[in-house]
Formats: sequence, structure tokens, C-alpha cells
Amino acid sequence: MAEVEETLKRIQSQNGVQGIIIVNTEGIPIKTTLDNASTVQYAGLIHQLVMKARSTVRDIDPQNDLTFLRVRSKKNEIMIAPDKDYFLIVIQNPSD
Amino acid sequence: MFVCLLKVSICKHACPFFPPPLVGDIRTLQWDTDPSVLQLQADSEHGRRMQRLGASKITQVDFLPKEVVSYCKETQTPLTAHLSEEEEEEDEEMMEAKSGPESEQQDEDDNRENKEVLRELTEEERQQILHSSEFQSFFECSIRVMERALAEDSNIFFDYGGRELEDKEGDLGSGSSLSFSRLFYDEHWSKHRVITCLDWSLQYPELLVASYNNNEDAPHEPDGVALVWNIKFKKATPEYIFHCQSPVVSVGFIVLWDNRSHRRTPVQRTPLSAAAHTHPVYCVNVVGTQNANNLITVSTDGRMCSWSLDMLSQPQETMELVYNKSKPVAVTGMAFPTGDVNNYVVGSEEGTVYTASRHGSKAGICEMFEGHQGPVTGISCHSAVGTVDFSHLFITSSFDWTVKLWSTKHNKPLYSFEDNADYVYDVMWSPVHPAIFAAVDGMGRLDLWNLNNDTEVPTASVTIEGASALNRVRWSSGGKEVAVGDSEGRVWIYDTGEVQIHWREAQLSWWPSRWVHGNEKSHQ
Repeated sequence: MAEVEETLKRIQSQNGVQGIIIVNTEGIPIKTTLDNASTVQYAGLIHQLVMKARSTVRDIDPQNDLTFLRVRSKKNEIMIAPDKDYFLIVIQNPSD
Repeated sequence: MFVCLLKVSICKHACPFFPPPLVGDIRTLQWDTDPSVLQLQADSEHGRRMQRLGASKITQVDFLPKEVVSYCKETQTPLTAHLSEEEEEEDEEMMEAKSGPESEQQDEDDNRENKEVLRELTEEERQQILHSSEFQSFFECSIRVMERALAEDSNIFFDYGGRELEDKEGDLGSGSSLSFSRLFYDEHWSKHRVITCLDWSLQYPELLVASYNNNEDAPHEPDGVALVWNIKFKKATPEYIFHCQSPVVSVGFIVLWDNRSHRRTPVQRTPLSAAAHTHPVYCVNVVGTQNANNLITVSTDGRMCSWSLDMLSQPQETMELVYNKSKPVAVTGMAFPTGDVNNYVVGSEEGTVYTASRHGSKAGICEMFEGHQGPVTGISCHSAVGTVDFSHLFITSSFDWTVKLWSTKHNKPLYSFEDNADYVYDVMWSPVHPAIFAAVDGMGRLDLWNLNNDTEVPTASVTIEGASALNRVRWSSGGKEVAVGDSEGRVWIYDTGEVQIHWREAQLSWWPSRWVHGNEKSHQ
């Protein structure tokens, strides 16, 4: 859809954004701005991570649920917005 | 891949070269003149023979390289069997390495195999998914959250020990108390559109809605646009975008957008009918409490309609605003005093101001106030709540380059502020400080007047660089920020910090002198 494309392009052009991936609940990438190999790698690994994080949150309190996940590393930051059916993953290099 | 074969030949002891054919054996000896083929000569029942091993010629066989798992769009049906075998091998290795529960592994297996299977349909499936409404709503929500997260450049690792922390508090107070905070502008939706109206949300004080006129350069785009901006987060894109078929607040439609639905077009709109408005609606006000409220609209033909927000198909009541029962008032601005839902003031195109009531014995236009020499562009009732009731005061701005202060008890202006050199387009009292109001004019100037300080010149004034004419000014409900809209679709947010600090103790300590003499009982 054109709007989705536009929005993704706009975010991609923002400061420090390295890539955007949209994955479904099975871990299959639906839309991505990275190359195939990286996409697949990120999708698979992050999918596992989100599942683990979600189950952690739920185990502690069954009424609770995961809303946002941010993984900060030395070189960049991975932000994941999980939903019932899809995840939105954005990899950012916080420049400052 | 090469495989070397060591040819093993078993020959009978007696005759190393020409073993006699044995008839009747289950296995028959085979003579083969080609030494490069494997020969296996069975033992006969006559006992074991000595086996002589000898090196044989190397046989070169090529095996195709292992298929690299790649997700190309061609069908991979003949190779899926291979791939699943490989993955099972890998999974087995992983199972030894990891100590995860077995079900997880199986899930992964399933996932991987599903991946293989779905990959073939991905292109069509992708498009399907992208067009589904679930995806759209997911995308809208998460993109909003993500943009906020991206815009926050909070450096949690910052070390303050290395450098001095700038004292931001010290900047305000000296010189002007207007400091630029944000600029809201959207390349797509704000460009070439004049800002027609601004309003701050009462429920969420950080939200500001700006409505835009049509974009003459882009006739195919929707004529009316409203964008909701958020000053709390640093992201530079609007929170919500709404479209409308007509330029917003400019033609005889009043529409209501439902923020909860994900559609961008109005959920309800009033019909263009003789019962409602047939002229441009310039004034929209919601009066009343949160539970019992009405939408009051007035159009330039002098018709005032009161609507219930639940039903926009028909106004609850209409009234023609005529002065002296003959002359309809061309209303350009309307304001209600704080807490009053019945009496209000309107400004007109002729430069006269009227008070009016919605209900009661004197329903309709009551009194006329003359003073302005040009159309009244903005009107604002005193809204700060304090020990003294100033709700009878209101200010108006006009094309005659002045801002005038009035009281509803006098039909001549109390005071005229004449510091501007262009049309003054809008004016608004501060919601918290009883002596402060803001005005904007066509030269790009934003003025902050503090009546306790000076009535000749504004206390603080800033000419916004890059702005053409400033159309609208609105204070935020906390009185700390001012939103200014210009004729090119930009919304400028200015902080008015220092000025507000002592507002709790502030009173309007200045009175125009002739009023003091005239009305002793009103004087505090």
C-alpha cells in the first residue's frame, strides 16, 4: 500500500535509522528495508526474543502483556513494537 | 566432492589370476575387464580364502554442492525434501547444545518448515496482508509509538560530571519572555494551506488541533485538513491526520471526527440545508460541562445554531442574529465568558460588536458596541479566574490595526491598543493570568501584552522569522505556551515561561482612568 511505503520511507530517512522490518507472528518478514539475509536473521532472532520477553511478562503477572521492547547495545538500538498479529522492528543508531 | 574407492579383490588362493568359474554358487563370479569398476567377488563355500588388499584406481565422482538455503521466488518443491533433511540435522545438533524444552524445538522446526512452505506464496500473501485492515490498524498504532520512541533522544548514559549543566532557568526573565519552542509543519499536509483555526485539547493538554484551508496548488488533495499535533513528544509529525471535503471552517459544513475509528474522513457531518447553515461557519464553540454540552456555531449570515454532539443531522436550535430586528449580523467571531452558556459576544464584519443571549427574554442580539473601523477578526472574553470577576471584559482585534478592550457594561471601548502596523488577525486572553493577552498581526508579529506592566507597548514581542501573516493565536490551557498559526500552514509554539510564574498572586491592577471615575461600585 502506498501509504505504508511512504511512511516507511519517511522513518527510514530519519536520523540514525538503519532498518525497519515488519514480521508476522510466525516470524516471517512481511516488509523490510534491509537486505534479505539480515532480514531473515533479525526476524528469526528477534521473534524468539519477543516470545521470551512476552512469556516472562505474562508469567510474572498473567494479566499483563508486553507492549514495547527496546534493546540497547553498544553500537545501536533495536526497538520492537509487538502486537497481537505483527511486530514492527526498527534498528536505530542513536547518533548522539 | 570426491570419493576414493579402494578396490578390494578377493581371489582364490590357487589361481590368482584366473579363478575357475564356480557353477552352482548363489553368487556368481563376474569377470570384468574394466579395472575401474568395483569388483566384489564373493567367497565361495569352500572356505575362506586369503584376502589380498590392493590399492586400486581412484574413482572420481562429483556430488553437487549442498543446497544453500535461499528464499527466492521460484518454486522449490523438488528441493524441499533436501532442505528439511538438512534442517533436521541442524536441529539435532542444536538440541544437543541447548537445553531448551523440547516443545520449543519442535515449534522451531515447525516454524522453519512453515517458512519453507509459505515462502512460495509470500508475494501474494504479502500484498494480502498489507491490504488487510488488521495490518492497517496495527501499523498506524505502532508507527505512532515508534516515532515517538525514535524522536526521544534521551541519552541515559550521559555523564554530567564532565561538563557543566546549562542553567536553563536563568535564560528567561531577561529581555523578552517569549521563547521559541517548536514548529509544527508537515510537508505533505501543511504546505500551501492557510491555518484557519487552532484549538488545544482540554482532556489532553499537550494536544493541539490545527485546521487548514485548501491547498490551491493541489486540487486533487482533500480541501480541508485537520492535524493533531503533540507538544509532549519531540517527533515532528502529526499524531492524527483528518481530511474533509470542504475547506475546514470555511464553508457551510460542520463535521465531527471520531478519533477512535481509524478512518480519516469525518464520521458525521451536518447537512447543507436551509435549517442549518448556508454560509461559511467561522465560529465554533463548545459550551457547557463535560457531560452536558452543546456545540454552538455561527455563520456569516448571522445564523446561530446549537447542536448536540450526538446528533449532527439537525441543529437543536437556531436563531437569526439580527440587530434591531432588521439587520442580520455578519459574524466573524464569537466568544463566551467563562462559565456562561447563555450570554456571549460576537464581532461582525462591519466592525461592530454585539452582545447576545441564547435563551431568555432577550434572546438574540442585545446591545451594540461601536468602535472598530474595520471588520472584527478576533474576540476573546476574559477567562482567568481570580478573586475579582473580570468576566465582563473582552478584547477584540480588527483590520483597523488595533486591539480594543471592552466591558459588557459600556458600549464604547475602554481602551485601544495601537502598537500594530498591520491587520491584527487574532487576540486571546491568557487563561491563567488576568492581565495578559496575546495578539498576532499580518506582519508576522506575536505580541504579549501585560496590562500590569505597560499599556502603550506590548511587554514582549517577537517577529517570527519566516512567517508571513499570522492568522491565529491560542494559549494552551496551562497558560505556558502559545500556539500561533500562519498563512503558510505552519504552527509555531512559543513558551511564555517567566511571565506566568507569579500569576497566582497577580491581579489586574490597572484600570483605565475614566472608568474608575464612572463606576465606583465596580472598582476594587
